[in-house]
Amino acid sequence: MTGGRAPWVLLGPACLAGALALLPLGYLAVRALERGPGFAWSVVTTEGTAQLMGRSLALALAVVLACLILGISLAWLTVRTALPGVRAWAVAATLPLAVPSYVAAFAWLSAVPGLAGFTGSAVALTLVSYPYVYLPVAAALRGLDPAHEEAARSLGLGPVATFARVVLPHLRPAAAGGGLLVALYVLSDFGAVSLMRYDTFTRGIYVSYQASFDRTPAAALSVVLVLMTVGLVALETRTRGRRRHARTGSGTARPPVPVPLGRMTAPALAWCGAAVSAAVVFPLATLAYWLLTGQRSTWDLPRLAETAGATLGAAAAGALLTTALALPVGVVAARYRGRAAELLEQAAYAGHALPGITVALALVFFAVRYVHPIYQELPLLVCAYAVLFLPIAVTATRAAVLQSPPVLEDVARSLGHRPLRVLRTITVPLAAPGVAAGAALTFVVCMKELPATLLLRPTGMDTLATRLWTETGVGAYADAAPYAAVLILLAAVPSYLLGRHRT
Amino acid sequence: MRNPLRRFTSVLAVAALLTPLATACGGEDGDAGSDDAGIVVYSGRNEKLVQPLLDKLEKAVGTGVEVRYGGSAELAAQLLEEGDKTEADLFFSQDAGALGALAKEGRLDKLPEPVLGKVPAQFRGSGGDWVGVSGRVRVLAYNPDKVDKAPDSVRDLTKPEWKGKVGYAPTNASFQAFVTGMRVLDGEDATRKWLKGMKDNGVKAYDNNNAVLDAVDSGEVSVGLINHYYWYEKVAEKGADGVTAKLHFLPGGDPGALVNVAGVGLLKGSGQRDAALKAAEFLLSAEAQTYFSDETKEYPLAAGVTSKVPDLPPLESLKAPEIDLGKLESLQETLAMLQEAGMV
Amino acid sequence: MTELRIEGLTKAYGPDATVLDGLDLTVPAGSLAAVLGPSGCGKTTLLRVIAGFLRADAGTVTVGDRLLAGPGTHVPPERRRIGIVPQEGALFPHLSVARNVAFGVADRAARRRRAAAMLDLVGLAGYGDRMPHELSGGQQQRVALARALAPEPALVLLDEPFNALDSALRAGVRADIRAALRATGATAVLVTHDQQEALSTADLVAVVRDGRIAQCGPPHEVYTRPADPWVAGFVGDAVLLPAHAAAGTATTALGSVELRTPAAVPEGTVILRPEQLRLTEPGGTGDTGGTVHGATVTDVRYYGHDAMVTVVADGVDTPVDIRVAGHSPFRPGDRAGVQVTGRAGFHPGRP
Repeated sequence: MTGGRAPWVLLGPACLAGALALLPLGYLAVRALERGPGFAWSVVTTEGTAQLMGRSLALALAVVLACLILGISLAWLTVRTALPGVRAWAVAATLPLAVPSYVAAFAWLSAVPGLAGFTGSAVALTLVSYPYVYLPVAAALRGLDPAHEEAARSLGLGPVATFARVVLPHLRPAAAGGGLLVALYVLSDFGAVSLMRYDTFTRGIYVSYQASFDRTPAAALSVVLVLMTVGLVALETRTRGRRRHARTGSGTARPPVPVPLGRMTAPALAWCGAAVSAAVVFPLATLAYWLLTGQRSTWDLPRLAETAGATLGAAAAGALLTTALALPVGVVAARYRGRAAELLEQAAYAGHALPGITVALALVFFAVRYVHPIYQELPLLVCAYAVLFLPIAVTATRAAVLQSPPVLEDVARSLGHRPLRVLRTITVPLAAPGVAAGAALTFVVCMKELPATLLLRPTGMDTLATRLWTETGVGAYADAAPYAAVLILLAAVPSYLLGRHRT
Repeated sequence: MRNPLRRFTSVLAVAALLTPLATACGGEDGDAGSDDAGIVVYSGRNEKLVQPLLDKLEKAVGTGVEVRYGGSAELAAQLLEEGDKTEADLFFSQDAGALGALAKEGRLDKLPEPVLGKVPAQFRGSGGDWVGVSGRVRVLAYNPDKVDKAPDSVRDLTKPEWKGKVGYAPTNASFQAFVTGMRVLDGEDATRKWLKGMKDNGVKAYDNNNAVLDAVDSGEVSVGLINHYYWYEKVAEKGADGVTAKLHFLPGGDPGALVNVAGVGLLKGSGQRDAALKAAEFLLSAEAQTYFSDETKEYPLAAGVTSKVPDLPPLESLKAPEIDLGKLESLQETLAMLQEAGMV
Repeated sequence: MTELRIEGLTKAYGPDATVLDGLDLTVPAGSLAAVLGPSGCGKTTLLRVIAGFLRADAGTVTVGDRLLAGPGTHVPPERRRIGIVPQEGALFPHLSVARNVAFGVADRAARRRRAAAMLDLVGLAGYGDRMPHELSGGQQQRVALARALAPEPALVLLDEPFNALDSALRAGVRADIRAALRATGATAVLVTHDQQEALSTADLVAVVRDGRIAQCGPPHEVYTRPADPWVAGFVGDAVLLPAHAAAGTATTALGSVELRTPAAVPEGTVILRPEQLRLTEPGGTGDTGGTVHGATVTDVRYYGHDAMVTVVADGVDTPVDIRVAGHSPFRPGDRAGVQVTGRAGFHPGRP
């Protein structure tokens, strides 16, 4: 571990990224305290607020647990076992990333109306967010030297005990990082819970905007959401602990011998099949149903193509800016210890649990005052994506940097290169595959983003998500289906690459 | 180095760099560019519903027109956040509440009397700062195969004879506006009691008004609380024979017969006040009012225009409850009440 | 040709975690010094402070006439002109061998030539286009040295560079690296916990204990004249015997032993190397004369070129190791005679 303080060439851009991520907090402070701290306090301390918080946390807990079970089991099956068609399953397991939560929720609700409420929200959110656990855990499993498991087996532990006592502890940092992203995703989700009619904190914030048109209570509630986020991030940091990084052994670890499943092959296949069917096949089938049963399915192909193009462009720019900002933060988080590095990483998470509308309004607030020329132009939308999704890219970057031993950077400096040059010639090229994975993931979530896109997009620009919103808003599901299908298919491309990606 | 993800990222980079060019070239249709001295309309009404009408604005107003679509509530919040730096000249809202909120914050300009005068007083802002342009009536849809007729008041739906036979869409804004109206008319306690009675009577929740109407049509429920135009659209789509469900307009000023309006307001500080005013006038013109009546199956609100939709009773003939629509912005308490009743 | 001078170097990671405790060390220009110590003695910290990756709390590091670290001075690593050869080489996995070696050469025009020359120096001419993972461990280590030497550093630091190598490879790589360092005339510091490596490779051995230099000198001197029993035990096998000294002679359980320098106090410990003891037939007289002490053989360990025999001498509690050349005729349980040869060191205090 490199000691001491990070050099300014890293710290400067990292602080810039942190400041951008903290913008919504500045806005929330202004709005929440508009009518004095007493009012904000009275909003926050009502019984209803406590209930909403309880409901949100309960949902987050349930979804995180379900995602851990689903994500870890699928990761183990696809990385470590002789499951038939293992490579195809590995790819299929990441495809749910491409499904927007509101599409999943809608699919489930229309098939099983009785699911509305807690159960339906938990099911829909689990099925779209478990890849956040699956991806890092699968990577960690691949990096686990099978010698550890063999040693445990030789010491008399059975396969289950070996998994619980040797493999699971090794997966803990990866699973905790993924679990955190899932928890924040659940806290900030509006699409699924509003369709499922389950009242959460974020829904409370939306209702506050929609019902009273009053931004002060909404801001006060958002501050509580930020505090919950900080708590969760701190919890995750503690779980991660002083993680040993980078296997520095001279040889590569032996590839593990796949575990034969024997009699368990059929149940394992059924498990994978059920997960993929529920998370991917089922929403796609629902879209097909929309198409077939809808009244008038006019395929406006030029418009569809133009919308897809605009979506790809905006999401690409969003992914690029987010990744660029995440790079210094991720490197500092991976390579330096101390208060500053810790605060910086936590700052990156600040906007992640906030509902899209709050982040969008924060950017409206600052943009009309200070950078009016880019207001309702693409650059501002791209900034919103960066604020919303910075943690996704930071997590990926940090993990990628941790993969390569810090001694390489020491050597490069001793050979006469300044820190910035070392970053460019050693750190970044080595971390590139992992950083690219983070960029791909960010790209997917940018494509699916709705609330901030609606408020901040350039006038006249439509993304697939806003189009989907427009069409479903008047119940034109047949017209909505092509947009949803194209959105899922386009987002499936980077998801597919992520599934094939080997760290 | 031949990592497909890295290649993908390179593609992303190229795409991101080309995007400004692409959006610059691709956005040529309709909007004449933001530098033109055109007006900007924030529309909380769905693009699918009003775009054909707004496309005609440019000609009517004589300048370029840019329209931003979004949710009415979100756009209201955005307008409040933008304050006097807003580029919006006109706000076209789905409901009165969002307009009332902007009026309360002093963000709307008072409309001239000739414009206000086109619409009955109950369908415009009490301060004269917004005006309704189209109306939608809460009605009961019923399935004549299941019941002879629907009750004459929503208050009757808590009776045992309707147990398990009623459908509604509790998250729908119009339904919530209706509950708010009931609170104004009948008082808090009576409304709370009614909601509890509905819940106890096994009222079935659906996702939206279309789903409620479908359920009535199929006989899944006998009666459903919806807005009138969903039925007329369904008839327009499937033909009169294709729809089993019938509509019942509630008489006698029943809270269940509330009329919601969509309306417009002029933003203060608009540099294009005259053009924006012309746009508002256009929305109250015979052409636009006919559009609402024919295309969205809503009620025209401007005097002198009547709907040509067959079977649609004229607005004047309906006994809508007497409510100040501006008061419908106090939705917060309604939601609290719905939550208390376990409905949302 | 530059000299490394370290004075009063202190580094602590916390109130109770002093790692370097006023360490002094001077390495003459052009020589190879081995910093030898057990794990946790602070030798890695010392290396990182010299390289500039860590800031010292106090003390100075000077290379030639350049002050690199001192009060108010901390030259960043990239401007120190100090090359490092880390454990396992740490070659940049994404760069070819030639580009690894040329990485630190500032003069673009000279890069190819310099890389080729350096690879030639370490015996890997023609390997420039390979990728690091295509090389064996020993080759990687030699490339790492070529990379460190390429920018003509004032000083080269080697951090346990032979650790990961098979013992069969080790001697060869060690010799190659020594030759390459010699050829360039670079001053070098080798950090290791392996006393054989230190003694066989270095011109100067500095033994570190608890953040200080316990002894520093040529290998022969450190081995034969250890500063104290601890150093003796760490730098090779040692036989420690309680002794009573009078002038130039000490009396031990194995008879009287001649001392290198007259003892200052009467009570102390005599330090002998196992090869200073001779094993004879029981009751016989040694071929060099002197007293022979009776003993019982308890263990014999055979190494090929020599063997180590452990005996318990009559009247002595602790077993004693004796190195014998080639094969030993004795077996555990046999009776034998033990005789001390040569002079010994004497230290106050009991072992």
